[in-house]
Parts: sequence; structure tokens; C-alpha cells
Amino acid sequence: MVEFDRSVFIAKFQEEATDLLQRLNEGIITLEVEPGNRSLIDQWLRDAHTLKGSSRMVGLIEISDIAHRMEDIMVKVREGQLGYTSDMTDSFFEALDTVVFMAENAGKDVEGQVDIEGLLSRLSELAASGVPVAAPAAPAKSAALKKKKLAPASEPEDADESDQDSDDDDEDSDDSDEAQLAEDGGGPKAAKRDDKIQSKSQATVRIRTSQVDRLLNLVSEVVISQIKDEQRVRDLRSAAVVAADSQQLWSRLKSLLSMLPHDEQTAFSDDMRLFDELMTDQRRTLMTLAKDYADDTSRVSMVVADLQEQAMELRMLPVSTVFNTFPRAMRDLARQYKKDVDLVIEGGDTELDKKVLEEINDPLVHIMRNAVDHGVEPAADRVAAGKPAKGTIKLEARQEGDHIVLLISDDGAGIDPEKVKTAAVRKGYITEAEAKSLSDREARYLIFEKGFSTAAIITELSGRGVGMDVVREFVVERLKGSLDIESECGKGTTFRLTIPLTLAIIRALLLRVSGQTFALPTSSIEETLRVEAGEIIKVEGREVIRRQRRTIPLVQLRDILGLDPIEASDRKIPIATLSFSGHRLGMIVDEFVGEQQIVIKTLGTHLRRIDNVAGVTILGAGEVVPILNVPDLMTNGRQMTGMRTRRAAAVKEKEAGPRRVLICEDSFTTRELERSIFEAAGYLVETATDGAQGLAKLREGLNPDAVVTDVQMPNMTGFELTRAIKADDHLAAIPVIIVTSLERDEEKAEGISAGADAYITKSVFNQDTLLDTVERLIS
Amino acid sequence: MSPNEHVTLEELRSSQAQEVLRRRAESLAQAEQETGAIALAGLLLFRLGEEWYAVPIEGVREIYNEYSVTRIPRVPDFIVGVINVRGEIMSVTDIATLMRVPSRTEVDLTGELPPAIIVASENCSSAIVVDEIGDIVDVPRDSIEPPLSTLDKSQSEYIAGSVYVDERLIGIVNLEKALEPVGETN
Repeated sequence: MVEFDRSVFIAKFQEEATDLLQRLNEGIITLEVEPGNRSLIDQWLRDAHTLKGSSRMVGLIEISDIAHRMEDIMVKVREGQLGYTSDMTDSFFEALDTVVFMAENAGKDVEGQVDIEGLLSRLSELAASGVPVAAPAAPAKSAALKKKKLAPASEPEDADESDQDSDDDDEDSDDSDEAQLAEDGGGPKAAKRDDKIQSKSQATVRIRTSQVDRLLNLVSEVVISQIKDEQRVRDLRSAAVVAADSQQLWSRLKSLLSMLPHDEQTAFSDDMRLFDELMTDQRRTLMTLAKDYADDTSRVSMVVADLQEQAMELRMLPVSTVFNTFPRAMRDLARQYKKDVDLVIEGGDTELDKKVLEEINDPLVHIMRNAVDHGVEPAADRVAAGKPAKGTIKLEARQEGDHIVLLISDDGAGIDPEKVKTAAVRKGYITEAEAKSLSDREARYLIFEKGFSTAAIITELSGRGVGMDVVREFVVERLKGSLDIESECGKGTTFRLTIPLTLAIIRALLLRVSGQTFALPTSSIEETLRVEAGEIIKVEGREVIRRQRRTIPLVQLRDILGLDPIEASDRKIPIATLSFSGHRLGMIVDEFVGEQQIVIKTLGTHLRRIDNVAGVTILGAGEVVPILNVPDLMTNGRQMTGMRTRRAAAVKEKEAGPRRVLICEDSFTTRELERSIFEAAGYLVETATDGAQGLAKLREGLNPDAVVTDVQMPNMTGFELTRAIKADDHLAAIPVIIVTSLERDEEKAEGISAGADAYITKSVFNQDTLLDTVERLIS
Repeated sequence: MSPNEHVTLEELRSSQAQEVLRRRAESLAQAEQETGAIALAGLLLFRLGEEWYAVPIEGVREIYNEYSVTRIPRVPDFIVGVINVRGEIMSVTDIATLMRVPSRTEVDLTGELPPAIIVASENCSSAIVVDEIGDIVDVPRDSIEPPLSTLDKSQSEYIAGSVYVDERLIGIVNLEKALEPVGETN
């Protein structure tokens, strides 16, 4: 099974301890001024107690002991058994500093660097006497120590003095006859420790992630200007080449001119000489400039690359921080699906960008759920098939070049491509003919289609088809990674997620459509071509081209993006063919501009999710260019080419008149967004701002084909509305689609128990899921 | 000194700027002395069509006049596009279209661009384009009334309150509502 990794919890403890220690330190400072502040003492004691408990939990017994002793002292202060003295302040600071050091070096071998025993005994002394035992042992002080022990109430001045002494007399500590202190090796070590604590406590800095993000933002600005510089180097080089060519041309001219009669030459010989010098000079200057600039740029390039790498590393965390929650999750899943499964985790120390880490949890959970639910067979079946009764799911992470590969394998039944094809044909994702031409691998990829499920009923929790499309959305759309499935019937399935180490920089093809520049990630482009108009042929009313015995449907990129056409030139037509999740589509554009590295930026805090657009980039000239979202383009493009059965639905729609949908949503933006989606798809849209208003409209005789509702609304929630609709004989037949940000399973279950026909969470919400779901329910 | 005092941008720029600032400082100090007797709210006025609106001054980051907008395909009609503000990408919101109030014209990206106010709510910033930027005024908080009940619901949800400034009724924009994230909610 999985090894229990204490380091994760230690990291959590360190985070917590930093705050506690900060407060404890501040408390001591305030206490020195107001020693009688009871509530402050109480707070301080609570913090010390928390520190004691948490450190014990993670096995940092020394810290726990120190906290315990400090507590002892402070309790006595609170009970009035001890007066608070400035000596206590010193001791507490010493103790807290040691705790800081111990906490920061948790899990490392710090033996010999810190004198825990000595500190503990000094704290005990303090608790017993109210006056600290002079820190390190020194012969000169042994007497003083003893004296103090005999006279617990000695004045603070005395203690100060002895502290002073201790610093001066470190060298002689060997002579100490004070048993406790001799044990620890005495003074020199303690003094050395002081230095070490100082330097060690500065070895790490705690930085807000927002600050790191801002830093990365600035670094990416530097990277942008570096890319610009590299372009300029190339420009300058070509200028130098032009200069060299000019000079050669001039040399030839010169030799021709020298053949003229001598007296004719004298007329311009001065100018010629001057021009000759200028040409040579210009060439030399340009060459030197180009060379120097190239050298400088490549030097800076290295620095910038380093800078970028270092900056990225600031956010690198081991994947174990995510993986470590999985054994527990797996146990829950196994119990939920009544399977017996072992989880094996490998490569937990592989490091990954924090931002990527935050995003991989969900897809991994979905894949594991899928593996437990559909992959691993019931124990009886496994035994019958000659496999061990207990299934094994393996989660593995490793770095390959500038990518992280995550492998999730199970030893279950495997994915049967024929079953997937049958379900896909039944649900109208592909036609019979298309199913026949699909390879097994392409067929398996269909499980990542939005809303795809081999189960028949949409309302069923695991059969709803949310899940694997979330995997695709996270891995491909957000993380710009790729997905692959290997599966062998009866042997098992392996999901392979390949994710770039950095999310910030990609290669992209710049292209122009309707006068605007867009960037298209190169990773999804299969090829770019320029074809004659005659090469585009029509098959079944769709425009296609033939490439290497494959037929690739074509779509105008500007139609997907809703841009106005510009007058067509009679040159060859530029087409970029995209390949994504087993499909190919050719995008007709107006012009290719070129390929280059781009820095990905989000659309800002206001525009969270825009169809077809993954983000923007800033080009060298400061121009802001939208980056196209390939999965969106593919889905929308395929709809336009009529690859999906949507076309058939549209025909039916014409016969039956437009469909009506009622949208109940209190947020204006969401309501209008949904309205525009449905209106664009030809629906008549009615809206209500809450459930009560919606129900009233329904009862007044509005007879929509479907109701789309939010959950959290004033007056009447979506769940209540759903229940009311399903309880009403006249309305019960109307499909209800809940669109909500509540995505916990219990909430989904509540929605479904209320009678909803579909449940869409806003995090995976987009035009397609919504329309697909509604259309599937209506037809 | 009237708390309703009006300080125009022109005044600030003029040679009397120092004087104005001094007077303003005095009035602020005075308000403070009267310990909450007149709590003031700072408002930046702007015009849409014939009407005047305002945003709370705390929500204003800066005023942006020279900018170039990149259009983003298939966004709601009140999103003009995005701009690059020193490396930070930000949406440009046509607030008149959003609130369904008549404005001068449609925002024409090829022509001269109207002035923009960069506003920020708690977790969202955007540049809102307006027809004209007006003055900064301080009004007593208790003079702010709830929005007119006659307002259309689609408008009233964007108005946090109304207040009279120089006999003019000013609608104060509810930034939290106007800057709801696009493409997801909550």
C-alpha cells in the first residue's frame, strides 16, 4: 500500500506554526509591557497549546516538549504563582527561536546544532523558580547558578549579568560541574547554535502565491520582449547580408567603371573613393552590430531562460501533495461501488507547477472513479477470469522531457470499442458508416465526448456522462496536454495524461481572419496547406478536401467565430487542418502570418470563459491577439459541417415550429448568456428571475419544451421548483435541466431526487453541454 | 462649507489647484472633527446619453483615454473587447448596453474611442466606456436614496442607489452586479 508521507503534513504544520509562532512572539512583546493582561495570557496559552498538539501530531516531539514547558511557565504566571519578568521574555524568545528553527528543519538531521536538552532544563528551572538558569554553563557561573537555585527570588539584574557572563566565558565551559549542562556539551555549542539558528531561519522565506504569480507575470513580459529581440537579431542579420551583397555589387561596378577612359574617370573618382569607403564602412558596422547584438541577445536569452525556469520552480510542488489524498478517496470509491481495490502510487516526488497541480486533481479522480466503476470487475468475475479477487489501480507520475506523464492503469475488464461504438451511434455522435471506419483507438476516444456515456439513462449518477469530458476539458483545454487510452479487453486499461510542465508558453501559428489576427496552438495543427479553389470538392453538400486518401471536412474559421467575410482574393486558399480527439477538420482562414512562441495570458478577471477563445497573447509590437481554443473550434466546427445529427434535429424543428424553453435564473448575466445560447439555436426563450415566477408562468399555461433552472434563487429554489413541476400532473412531462454551481455529489443527488432530468454544473457549463442535454431530452 | 461641494477636474488642473486641495483637506478634516456627523461618499460622475451616473470612488482604479481594443469573438454584446493595461489583460465593458440605457452611439473601434474608467470590484476589474467623464463629488452618505422604484428591473439591479447632485439625479452603479464574471457565475 501507499507509504505514509509525513512530509506533507509537516509542510502543513510549518504553515500553521509560522502563524502561531508569529502570534506567540508578538504576545511576548506585548506581555512585557502589560504583564497583567489576562486575556492576552489566555490567548498565548491557547496558541502554545495548539503548537504542542500539532507538533506532536506530526512527530516533532522536541517542539512539543518545548511548547509544553513554556505552557507550564505561563500557567504559573496566570495563576499568580510567578510574576512576569523580563528574564522570561528572554527565555521565551530563545525557546521560540529554537522552535522556529526546529520547525523549519523538520525531518532533517539537526543533531548537534540545537541544544534542546539544555533549553528544556532551563525552561524547567524557570518554571520552578521564576528566574531562568543562566543559559550556557560556565565555571564562573556555576556558583551563581547554585546560588540562584538556593535563592529563587534573585533580582533580574543578577540574571542579566550572568547572561552577560555566559557570553564572555564560553571558552571555559568544559569545567562545568553542573550536571545537566555538562551533559549537553555546554557553552560553545550553544553559542554556535545561536549563529546557526540565525542563518537557518533565513534559509526559507514565506511568500504569498499572488506575489509569485505577479512575479511570473513580469517574467513573462521579459520573455515577450526577449522573443522580440530575437526577431530583431534576425532582421539585423538580413540587413547585414544586404549590405554585403551591395558591396559586392559595387565592387563589380567599380571594376566596370575602371575600364572607362582615364580622363572620364577623374570626374567622379573622388566620389567613387568616398562611396567605396562608405560601403565598406557600412558593411563592417552592420556586421559588427549584428554580431554584437546577436551575442548579447543570446547571452540574455540564457539568463531569461534561467530566470523563467527559476521563477517557474518557485511554484513547483511534488505531485504527492495531490496524490496523498487518493488512498482515502479510493477506499471511499471502492466502498461506494462495492469493489475491492488496491491503489499503488509511484513517482510521488515528481514536481509539477502548482497551478497544474490544482487542476489535475479533478481529472484524476474522475479517471479513478471510472476505473473503479467500469474497469475493475466484481470479485466473482475476476476470480472466474483467473485474476486475483482484488483489483489493482496504479497511479504513476514521471517526467519526460518538458512534460509530465501521468499513468492511471487498472487490471480490469478493459474498454470494449464495439460497445462504445454502439452507444455512440445510438446517441447520434457518429453514424453507422463512421463507426465502421473508426479504429479501436479512435472509438475508445469517444468516451471523452461531452455527455457521452455507455449507460442509457441521463439522470443516473454515474451514467450521466459527466466525468470523462471533464477529464478532457481539464487536460486538453486548460492544461494544454494530451490524453491517450490503451486498453486490452479482459486485461485492463491505461489512461495516459501528458501535461506540459509550464502553462505559460506555447508555440502557435498566427493567422488572419476577417482582418483580425488570431493565434492557433501548433500542438493541435496537423498540417497547413494552400489549395486551389478547384481542390475543394463537395460531398453530400459539405465542402471537403482529400488528403492522403482521407477526406477532411472544411469549415470557414470566420463562420465559427461569427466574423464578417472580407472580399476573397483569387490566390490559393490557406487551410489549417486540426486533429483532435480522433477527428479532423480543416479551417479555412484568410492568411497565415507565421509561427512563433507566445506567452499565454488569461482574458482577465471579468471574462472567465469565452467560447472558442483560450486566452490572449501580447505580440512584440504590443498587439493583443486572441488564442483560439481548439476543442471549442472542433465542436462548433463539426456542428456547422453537420457532422453531428444536430442537422436532423434542425429539420424536425422546422416541421414542429420553434421550440420553447423557460429559463429560471436570478443572475442577469447567466440568464442573458443562456438566453443568447438558446436563441442562437432557434429557440423561443421565456425567462423568470426565480423559481416562484417560473412556476407561475408554467401554471399560466406557458408550455415550454424544457425548463432550465438555477438552484440558488430567491423565493423558490431550483430544487423546490423541480419538485413542484414533477408533482404537477400537467407539468411533470416537461424535462427539467438544473444548471448550478453546486457540484457536490450530495447536491447532485438532491437535484436528481427532486426529479430533475439533467444536472449541469457551471464549472463544466458551456454552450454545447447545455444545448446537447436539452436537445437529447426533448427529442 | 457645504459637504456637497463640487470639485471639477478642470479646477484641479488650474492654478487654483492648491487652494482647492487645501479647502478640500479642510472640509475633510472638519468632517472628521464632527465624528461621523457627516459621513461622505466619494463619487466619480459620468454621462451616458442624457443621463448622469456615478461609480463609488473606491472602485475607480484609473481613467484611461488612449487605448486600443482587441475584439473577442462571440462575447455578450456589452463586451467591447479586451485591452492591455501594462501587461494586465482587461475586458472593456459597454456599460450603457449592459444597463440598457440609451447612449450616444455604438462603440466604433475604428474611430475615436470614448473615455474609459477602469473599475474594480472585489474580484473583477474592467474598463467601462462612457460618453463623458464628469467631476468627483463628495456627498453625505445619508443623502443616498434607494434606486427609483419606477426603474425597469433589468436596470435597477445595476443601480445601488441614487443621489441629487446640483439638482441632478445621479444613479450610483452597483459595481459588484455590473462586473459579474462572464462565462460563469458565483
